Amino acid sequence: MNDHRSVGIVMIEDDEGHARLIEKNIRRAGILNDIRHFTDGTPALDYLFNSPDGPAKSGPAMVLLDLNLPDMSGTDILARIKEEGSPLRRAPVVVLTTTDDKIEIQRCYDLGCNVYITKPVNYENFAQAIRQLGLFLSVIQVPEVEA
Amino acid sequence: MQGSPTVAPTENPIGRILVAAMAIGFLALLVAAGAAGYVVRQTNRHSDWVVHTYRVEGVLIEVRRLAEQQETARRGYMLAGGPAFLASFERAHAELLPQVAELRRLTADNPRQTAPMAVIEQRLADLDKAQRQTNALVQQGRGADALRQFRADSGLQRMQKLRDVFDAMAREERRLLALRDAEQATSRQTFSAVMAIAALLFLAVVVVTFLTIRRYTRDLHRSRTALAVLNATLEDQVKERTADLALANEEIQRFAYIVSHDLRSPLVNVMGFTAELSAATGPLAALIDRAEAEAPHIVTEEARLAAREDLPEAIGFIRTSTAKMDRLINAILKLSREGRRVLAPEMIALDQLVDQIADSIRHVIDDRGVTLHIARPMPVVVSDRIALEQILSNLIENATKSRHPDRAAEVHVSATETPGRVIVAVRDNGRGIDPRDHQRIFDLFRRSGQQDQPGEGIGLAHVRALAYRLGGTISVESRLGEGATFFLSLPPTLSIEGA
Repeated sequence: MNDHRSVGIVMIEDDEGHARLIEKNIRRAGILNDIRHFTDGTPALDYLFNSPDGPAKSGPAMVLLDLNLPDMSGTDILARIKEEGSPLRRAPVVVLTTTDDKIEIQRCYDLGCNVYITKPVNYENFAQAIRQLGLFLSVIQVPEVEA
Repeated sequence: MQGSPTVAPTENPIGRILVAAMAIGFLALLVAAGAAGYVVRQTNRHSDWVVHTYRVEGVLIEVRRLAEQQETARRGYMLAGGPAFLASFERAHAELLPQVAELRRLTADNPRQTAPMAVIEQRLADLDKAQRQTNALVQQGRGADALRQFRADSGLQRMQKLRDVFDAMAREERRLLALRDAEQATSRQTFSAVMAIAALLFLAVVVVTFLTIRRYTRDLHRSRTALAVLNATLEDQVKERTADLALANEEIQRFAYIVSHDLRSPLVNVMGFTAELSAATGPLAALIDRAEAEAPHIVTEEARLAAREDLPEAIGFIRTSTAKMDRLINAILKLSREGRRVLAPEMIALDQLVDQIADSIRHVIDDRGVTLHIARPMPVVVSDRIALEQILSNLIENATKSRHPDRAAEVHVSATETPGRVIVAVRDNGRGIDPRDHQRIFDLFRRSGQQDQPGEGIGLAHVRALAYRLGGTISVESRLGEGATFFLSLPPTLSIEGA
């Protein structure tokens, strides 16, 4: 059993507003885990795989991933995380995006995403969804990262 | 398509040339026939004249012979005095008279013969008188007197002169014959010339006609070949164009998708932070309330208005606007998604489909007090059921909306089949649509006329997009105040190739 505080949340989201709203609502659900926010894919990947305090080097993490990023597609990041031999392949990835395209959803699950959530436009629903995600985060188990 | 304009103009001159050639040919034939007729008549007349001349000559000879015979008989009578001579004289005289009459009749037409004819008659009469005098003398036995009178009268000269006249007449007839022969020869020559010209003309016509027909046939052959080639490549062309169209369509769908998706993202922020703001006004208003109760002097009128009215009002407007924007974006998304749905053609009985739609929107129809008429029978089509249902349900529902204030609303649905097309007509007797708006109403977010019905202006854009996908078209006929008819034209069988 891991200490929930020790599981870092890596949020890759290009929209500052969305990131802020997500963070607020996660906090409102009582989740106090550390949240690292990246607006671009490249520094996020760098942090995930190479940073000394990043998930690959030190400790479990889960990823909140938006699919529409300015420098690369979120699915590329997902593929990198979940590819064979990746130290983070067991790390849970929650895709949180505005796209509700069936093909996109299928593709993400094929690539190994654990949860796919469409951001509701209606804010009440959005806030509720994020809070439920927060509750979900508070109970799920995250595997240790293989060194 | 490229061949048809070149074929059309050549067709007319060819027809004109052929008609002209035929006209000329017939004309030549007519002239030749006329010339032949003329020549035949001329020849007939000529031979008549030849016969006439020979008859005149014959009679002339006969008259001359009889006159000679009469004279010979007289002389014989004078010399020998036998009654046989007298009888011969009288016989010759009797035969001579009708011959002279015949000769006069035959030469009556020729003025140049009338004078010699008169001379002959005169001479014959004179001769006859002289002869009869000598005959009478011989009969009385005064042969010597008769002989003396004969000498004095110079019967020889008299006869000689008669012969000259006869010769002159015969010559005249011969001259006439020669003249007529020449005439005949000329007319024959003319005939030959006319015939030759007609023949040449005919030959020319034949050549022109032949060349024209050959050219026409060659043109025809060429255009037929072009047509065959066009026909053969048509399928490919259609496939190519369809592929292009599908590509363009896909591009538009992608564009619509990306746009709507990217628009949605900031909208989440606007709505989210508006909600945050709205939530924040709660504590603020509570604070104002508490302040008012506990320390009224610190609450300004402005602060109270801001917290209780301005903020909620502003937030309210932002919310309704963002909600509307959200609906519009969703509509675009829906359209783009509809464009990507895979069509599944199946047999659909249109009347059953319309019944089904009528049942599903029965409450709307009844609420609005609309009478729906469905004209039966309707054809069966092979198409995508969901798309067709959405189109017709949109059209029928729209029709029920545009009620005219002066009359009971009626909606008629009918379907007809023409070769290659099935046309479904949805007619209402509502307010009608201004012809200026007939194109506009099919555009996204555009509506026409009085805006007294809820809606975003999506239905008809959706209908048109669906109709296009089914290989169909949608059009409207309407005048303001006179109702509107929407026509959905569909292929009887939906081909999903390249769609």
